[in-house]
Amino acid sequence: MSSVLVKNEARLGLKLVAPAVGIIGLLVIYPILFNVYLSFFDVQLNGNKTFVGLDNYLNLLGNPRYYHSIGVSVIYLIGTVVGTTVLGLAASILMNQEFRFRNIARGLILLPYFAPVISVVFGWQFIFDPVNGIYNHVVVDVLHLTDTRENLIGNPDSALFVVILFDIWKHFPIAYLLFLAKLQSVPKDLYEAAAIDGQNAWGRFWHVTLPELRFVIATVVLLRIIWNLNRFEDVYLLAPNVETLPIFTYYQAFAGIVDQGGAAAISVIQLLVLVGLIWLYVRKVLKW
Amino acid sequence: MMNKRTPVQSVILYTLVLTLVIFCVFPFLQILSTSLKHPIDWGNPSLIPRVLHLDAYKELLGLMPTKEVDVPASVQRLLDNPALSTEKKQMLLAKFSSGSDVFPFGRYMLNTFVISFVTGICSTFLASLAAYAIARLRFPAQSLMANGVLFVYMVGGVLLMVPLYQMSVNVGLASSASGTILSLFLIYLIQTLPVAMYMLGNYFRSIPFSLEEAAMMDGCSRVEAFWRIILPLSKPMLFTVFIYCFVIAWNEYLFASVFLKQYQDFQTLPLALQTLFTSKNAIWDRIMAASMLTLLPVVICFMLANKHLSGGLTDGGVKG
Repeated sequence: MSSVLVKNEARLGLKLVAPAVGIIGLLVIYPILFNVYLSFFDVQLNGNKTFVGLDNYLNLLGNPRYYHSIGVSVIYLIGTVVGTTVLGLAASILMNQEFRFRNIARGLILLPYFAPVISVVFGWQFIFDPVNGIYNHVVVDVLHLTDTRENLIGNPDSALFVVILFDIWKHFPIAYLLFLAKLQSVPKDLYEAAAIDGQNAWGRFWHVTLPELRFVIATVVLLRIIWNLNRFEDVYLLAPNVETLPIFTYYQAFAGIVDQGGAAAISVIQLLVLVGLIWLYVRKVLKW
Repeated sequence: MMNKRTPVQSVILYTLVLTLVIFCVFPFLQILSTSLKHPIDWGNPSLIPRVLHLDAYKELLGLMPTKEVDVPASVQRLLDNPALSTEKKQMLLAKFSSGSDVFPFGRYMLNTFVISFVTGICSTFLASLAAYAIARLRFPAQSLMANGVLFVYMVGGVLLMVPLYQMSVNVGLASSASGTILSLFLIYLIQTLPVAMYMLGNYFRSIPFSLEEAAMMDGCSRVEAFWRIILPLSKPMLFTVFIYCFVIAWNEYLFASVFLKQYQDFQTLPLALQTLFTSKNAIWDRIMAASMLTLLPVVICFMLANKHLSGGLTDGGVKG
């Protein structure tokens, strides 16, 4: 290509990306930097700020609620990442079998992923409702496991597990889709060869399926950690008393005694962790 | 693998599939069932209502006959007085027919629809331009931008809520309703742009370059080739991306709650539903009916887009 054409192409390219990149720069990149700046100030909701140096960070590091929310987040992350990966894997293997109504079943199990959070949380709240819910009906009236009807979502400790179950229910379909796409591309003769070698179903899973899916599994795990580290709506709307890190940040920034500077400081620390994870994703996963 | 299943294996397979499907679908059935139950029927664990009770839907959709207003006799006498102007009478009546019990569902649905629709259109349009450039053209800082999109796409809203709120306060947008809505629209744009660029970029790369080349040999400019060849070819994917963006905005709660708290008339469904739920107790039928009506457009959208969506999502290892 001549240099004029190269130049024209470059000019057109820049013109086309300009609007999108401009908006992203102004409303994502700039806020990230502005957030670092704000974390050194005492910031009011009306925009007034006073410089406080490192106070926000020092307060945070001395705040037991912060450590508590980190602990809750870690349990939440482990539960949801393991849960979505395992269930997604199991579902993809199941749905890769041939059976009648397979297409309908494949469509139905995507529903939780597509449905708006705000609608489905009410369904889940009703299931666990202490007065009317099916959960208490089954546990107390049918199975007689306990005598008292419990408000699982009302109690932060048990609510955490409901939130984890909810997240698994809501997000395993995306893991399932990623696994299924890969499973469909595994050559059939690999399984046949393993069968000839005398491997049973479990052996074929262990020696063929898992190694083939290795990279996809790593992708799913890392992406789930990245998304769930920031997850807000699914937790807050189902059980606002489960204080994961994003919810703690939200309370700091917009509820009770507003401490926007403190919230900015939490976000800065969280962003550093996130950047590390994203770096890992780009380096290890995308380069594979 | 290839050989026929024994009956026992078949039974196990179908049991597992059925269990999984029930696990996925049960909460939806619960919502549908409760929305159709009369309050006295809520404690009934069966999913099938004893009596079909459609009042919740009727109320939300504004199909309920307006309730007769209880007016004290003294006021009734005033109202019967022909000397009083009709305007005054209506003002008097309005005092007694309290509107606080009515949940303006239609209004919230319209708000949500408008902002989601505009977000979807703008985001898909801007993303298609940028994604085409990144996928097909060579220009400075191209790979930086391609990787940057990925990075931006993973920075969650929670990390940006304080600076974005402060920015809109500093610029003065947060002090008026229109400014607030503009802020929210811009925020929805950046929440959808990266994923839209990512999905479209992957798709454009899968279109053979020879198609554009042929068009350009026939005398089309690059822009014309994009406009006349690539975009029409990408219609299904553009539609899918639009739906995806639309749904992100339709579902968004965090920023809506931060920005729209004091502008009740402009609230979107997620915020309004949450407020309805926390402010009034034991109105399961209305909450569930509202959930059902919020859910329905999304599920329909995804059914329309499903075919391409599954592919588009897995190609990108998309948000979720």
